[in-house]
Amino acid sequence: VESILRPARAAPTCLVVPMRTKRRFSVPNWNAEESIKGREKRLRASMMVSPEEHMERTFYLACTADIFDPYVPPEGDARLTSLSKDGLKQKMEKLRQTAASRLALRKVKNHDPNFSTKTFPEKAQEIFTEAHNSLANFNKQKLHSLVTERCYSEMVRGNRYKTIRWSFIESLEPPRVVHVRCHSMVNEDNLYGQVTVRMHTRQTLAIYDRFGRLMYGGEQVPKDVLEYVVFERHLVNVYGTWRMHGKIVPAWAPPKDPIIK
Amino acid sequence: LTSGRVFPLSCIHTSASLEKFGKWEKKNRIVYPPQLPGEPRRPAEIYHCRREIKYSKDKMWYLAKLIKGMSIDQALAQLEFSDKKGAKVIKEVLLEAQEMAVRKHNVEFKSNLHIAESLTGRGHYTKQIRYHGKGMFGIMKLSRCHYFVKLVEGPPPPPEPPKTGFDQAKEYVQQLRNRTITHSL
Repeated sequence: VESILRPARAAPTCLVVPMRTKRRFSVPNWNAEESIKGREKRLRASMMVSPEEHMERTFYLACTADIFDPYVPPEGDARLTSLSKDGLKQKMEKLRQTAASRLALRKVKNHDPNFSTKTFPEKAQEIFTEAHNSLANFNKQKLHSLVTERCYSEMVRGNRYKTIRWSFIESLEPPRVVHVRCHSMVNEDNLYGQVTVRMHTRQTLAIYDRFGRLMYGGEQVPKDVLEYVVFERHLVNVYGTWRMHGKIVPAWAPPKDPIIK
Repeated sequence: LTSGRVFPLSCIHTSASLEKFGKWEKKNRIVYPPQLPGEPRRPAEIYHCRREIKYSKDKMWYLAKLIKGMSIDQALAQLEFSDKKGAKVIKEVLLEAQEMAVRKHNVEFKSNLHIAESLTGRGHYTKQIRYHGKGMFGIMKLSRCHYFVKLVEGPPPPPEPPKTGFDQAKEYVQQLRNRTITHSL
């Protein structure tokens, strides 16, 4: 409707502002510093997601790595036997009565009802002699069944190119159980029992090096040896056997002979 | 039976083992039977070698021939002051062998060794292009060699006296006497 106050003039109803809508090419900035997180995010966005393959390699612990709570042999053990038998017997009983040994013994008997401190030392001595004989003959399979892995590595180290001759002459004293301990690895239920047996024996040892020259000891030289041998068994395993685990060398032991060169 | 922790495959035992043991390395593995107490003490023998040395085997032979028969101290001294490139390598080999002898093979004195055998062998040869001017090229041969040494315990053996004229004459006369006349009485 035309009027004086509103002349009919061409007036734009809306303001037209020219805008660029066409997408223009711009150089992408590849030099921009990307943080580690930003990069990870970008890569994760473009990567294919696959279910993770679990690379599992199970292994079985057949023996412990060390002797737990090592037995501390009393000083002058070998020298007192001939003098005061009664004193030693008392000490023996005291040791047997120590709480920890008794507890451990009870635990061991739970898992292995045939175990007894009276019959075990003989078996222990048999295992000991057989193990040393198979070491002298390099019978690896038998040695592995008689001796734990930790002891095996200690026994065999450096012996590959040497000849060892060992013989057991006699036992000067009957062996006896001195120390019992139970320990668990990884889980609380995984029990390993360690028993220390005191052996006083007479043995001969001769080691020859690669060229057949005598390196240590003599073949006809018997030596009296007082040893504290530790035997171990994986109690939880039904088919486990008692195997030699190591020896405890007391601090007051006499020094070894030097290697003959 | 309890199993251990989950281990990824990356820490499975992978050792860069020396792939091929040559005959010389295997000679260190023989074990002699124990000697009876009355026998003379067997001298220790140590075999050592180094493979694929970047040097020519003919040039290395001169150094090997120089060392043969010397005591180890004398050999090390001669190699230290030699100008050749192979001398440095052989010196390293000798020192390694000496240390091996003392540590593993039950040798008492490290100076009590002498060199019984020292040999060189041919290694793998590869070819390369050597660029000349004007687009010309030549084919270069990269030669490598092996070096073998055998150390024996004990003082070095005395050198053989040179052959005198008298010895040669004696041999000649003996040859004449050895002749036989066939089909004779």
